[in-house]
This record gives sequence, C-alpha cells and structure tokens, in this order.
Amino acid sequence: MDSLLLSQYLIAGLVIGIIYALMAIGITFIYSIMKMINWSMGEFYMMGSYLQYFLVVYILGPHLWFVGIPISMAVIFFVGLYIQRFLLKPMFVGEMERKDEYATVITIAMMVFFRNLAVVLAGPNQFAPPDYASPTYIGPLPVSGNRFVALVGTLLILGLFYLVVRNTWVGRALRGSAQNRVGIQTAGVNVLRVDQIAFGIGVSLAAAAGALLAPIFLVWPENGAVATMKGFEIIVIGGLGSIPGSLVAGLLLGLVESMGSVLISPSFKDVYGFGLVLFLLAIRPTGLFGERQRVA
Amino acid sequence: MSLLSIQDISCGYFEGIDILHDVSMDVGEGSFTGIIGPNGAGKSTLLKTIFGFLTYRDGEILFIDEKIRDLSPFQIKKLGISYIPQGINNFPHMTVRENLLLGAWTFKGDKDRMRRGLERVYDIFPVISSKRNHKAEFLSGGEAKILSIAKEMISSPRLLLVDEPSAGLAPKIVSYVYEFLRRSHEGGTTILLVDQNINQAIENSEYLYMLEMGSVSLEGSSQMFKEKLKEIIRDSLIGA
Repeated sequence: MDSLLLSQYLIAGLVIGIIYALMAIGITFIYSIMKMINWSMGEFYMMGSYLQYFLVVYILGPHLWFVGIPISMAVIFFVGLYIQRFLLKPMFVGEMERKDEYATVITIAMMVFFRNLAVVLAGPNQFAPPDYASPTYIGPLPVSGNRFVALVGTLLILGLFYLVVRNTWVGRALRGSAQNRVGIQTAGVNVLRVDQIAFGIGVSLAAAAGALLAPIFLVWPENGAVATMKGFEIIVIGGLGSIPGSLVAGLLLGLVESMGSVLISPSFKDVYGFGLVLFLLAIRPTGLFGERQRVA
Repeated sequence: MSLLSIQDISCGYFEGIDILHDVSMDVGEGSFTGIIGPNGAGKSTLLKTIFGFLTYRDGEILFIDEKIRDLSPFQIKKLGISYIPQGINNFPHMTVRENLLLGAWTFKGDKDRMRRGLERVYDIFPVISSKRNHKAEFLSGGEAKILSIAKEMISSPRLLLVDEPSAGLAPKIVSYVYEFLRRSHEGGTTILLVDQNINQAIENSEYLYMLEMGSVSLEGSSQMFKEKLKEIIRDSLIGA
C-alpha cells in the first residue's frame, strides 16, 4: 500500500471525525444539562446548511462564506432559544408525568416538521454552494480546500466553545447545572434560563457543522439524517454526557470509516462505524468515557 | 418584627395530596428558630416551599411583608434567603473557588463585594481555604458539607434555611457546623433550622415548632421544650 495514499486517508478521516464530533458535542452538551436527547439535532444541522447556502448565494457572495458561518450559528442559536422556550420548557415546570418521554415526542415531531418545512419552502432538490477554497496541501499531502476549511472552522468553534464554558459566568452556570441541578438553584441561578442557553448553544454547534459541510455534503431536506446518526454513534462510543468522550470518539469514528474504506472497500463506509459501535457495546457498554450510573 | 411569616399554608408534591396542612409560623428578625418532628412530618417540605422549589396551594408566605408566592428559587435567593439542603450540595467537578464564585452569582457584577465575600468565607472556614484550587470531588465528606454551606453563605443572607445539618457527618464536623450556625446567628443572620437531632435543635434555638403529620403540634420557647423534652421524645417514639 502506498504510504502517501494511506496518510491521505488518515487525514481525511481525522478531518471528518472532528466535524462529526461537533455534532456529537452538541447532542451531549444538551443532554448533560437538560437530561434530554434532542432527536431533531440533524434538522438544526440542515437549517444551518440552508441558511449558509442562502447567505452565500443570495446575500454575501461566494467570497464572504466565512461571514455566513457565524451568522448561521447566531440565527440558529436564537431559533433554539425560542424553540426551547415554547416547546421544551414546559417539561420542567408544572406536573409533567415523564419528562424524558415528553422531550422525545416533541423533538421527533420537530424532526418531521422541519424536514417537511424545508421541502415546502425550497423543494426537494439538492443545492451546492460554491467551494470555500481551492485544493491545498498539508505538508506533501493534497487535501480538498472545503475539508481543510471545515477542519480549521471546527477547531476554531470548539476552541471558542471551550473558552466560553471554561472561563465565563455563563459557562460556569452551564457546568454547574450539569453537575448539580439543585445546587445551581440554591446558588441563585435561573436554571430554566440556563437550559434555554444550553439548548441554543447545542443546536448552534449543529448549525455550524451544517454550514461548514455544505459544499461537501450539499444542502437538501434530509442532509441532517446522516449527521445525526453519526452523532449518536459517537455518543455510544464516547459515553453519553462526556465532551472529551465525544471528541475522541468522533476522531476514532472518522479514522475507522476512512481506514475501512481504503483497506477494505469504500462501499461499506457506514458499516465500519456500526462495527465499532457493536464492538464497544460488547466490551464497554458505558462508552469510552461514560460513567456507570446507579439505578435505584 | 417578623422577617418571615408563614400563614396557613397547605401544599404537596401532587395535586390532591397535601403534605402540609394549614401550617403557620413566625420567624422574627435576628431569631434562631427550630423545627423538629418525626420522619415524614413535612419539615423538609416546608423549607423547600419557602425557597420556591414547591408552590403552595393555599395560604401565604411573607418575607419582609412581600408575598413570595410564584417566585422561583433564584428570585427568592435575590431577596436575601439562602437554603442549605440536606447532605452535600456542591459542584463536584469544579474547584472550591469556582463553587464559591457560583454562590456569588446573584451579585456577580459587584467585584468588590465578591472579593469581600470570598475572603470572609475563607476566614470562617480555613478548612476549605487551604484547598481552594482542589476539585470538590476530592474533598472529604465533612469538607464537602462545609463547602456546601460556605457556597450559600457567601451572599450574606438575611435568612438562612438549614435542613438537617448533622445528617451523615462525623461528630467532630457536626459540632463544628453547629458552632458555625451559632456564630452566624450572633453575627445577625436569622436562622430557621430543621433538625431531627432534637437535643441540638433545642440547645441552639430560641423558639421551636414541632411538626407532626404536616401540622404544627406544639410551639414554644426552647425553655419550655427543654422541660417537656422527655414527654416529647416518648410521644414521638410511641407515635401518639
């Protein structure tokens, strides 16, 4: 096997892996604070990609694609805030019998709704935004410019996310809510507001992935389905609720898919990931970084 | 003057099943009030209701003459009430300092007050002062409890609600915690203490209420409770 080709696939795997991780971090972040799984994550990815396409093609022009990404993220952040406020917040107040079931029903309904809304508004077609960058080189290895941009963009967004969660008051409140919901309230933090912000941040990460990947995986009503599936695979591998777990598992999944494609056959790309999931479920059901939960 | 006035409140966790029935209490400014009673009497429920974790169905609670119906815990904290729940109530994956900073959330814009609050708390609790950069999960049980208390004290509350401060702690820590409560009281904080440790509650409080089956069955000065102590313990044991 040609070592140049192999390292090229290696890089491609890492690039795609870290972008998958962005999706997974969004899911796990929302879960760790609101203790609910957002099944419509892929639809926020889809909305992010549509917004980016719309901005780049009709408003900003192809050279200002990098302005479109933060705008898409911000818009989806606010969409998330309002969706949380009107559709999901009721699960934390009043007498909701089983709130996890409520969240499941609502988010699956949102998934169906947004997919069909996209069809109604823009038709069932695929759109391709113009390339973000022309092919480039990492050392001696050629990479697609779009993938390179997606990698750098994801790293920037993850870095920013880390800084916000680590060093700001909002970040402290977010971490506190994830660790102790009673404790954050006795400290005087409005926990329902924190939930809202967490949901907004989580879905804006999905939107960022959608916007960054738009030229590679294109824009169409169901383009979020694959991203969601990968996101959940990563969460099973990395452990639900663990952000480092999502990052490591994302890279791992990207590598496995890419190596499987080059060493065995590219037609079974998705199978390699599921193989990894099954393998991990067999040897470590809590995921790489997951903690065993005591169920009373 | 009464700081907290509870007037005939009834409430519970589910509609139709009340835990508290027409409970009335009066907590004077600067007082140390105790609530005792057997398991399941509604003592903790009462504190949760005052702090806004539960809404009351009937009656009224006044804090400095303001109705606190429909207020959420974060709004009640802003009024100057702090609540120390049973057991350990901190953020395990954060450092001691970050835990305390979150306790100062309600005045996070006021750097000066925050710095003074931190210094004061470190001063009162040297145990956690030396571990300010350790993560809370690596503290001992006693230290973790002290951090849970310190986190609620940093805001210098006017009224402190304390739920079973002695549960699950080593005797040495227990006496340290009561000592701290006594000193805060001397420093001007009004304290409402819920305790199953009848001796400690009577020892520290000025006025006591006894809750049984969700109603106040007895109230009076600690002197009166001291004299009746034997009867009270006997009654609560045989459940009469």
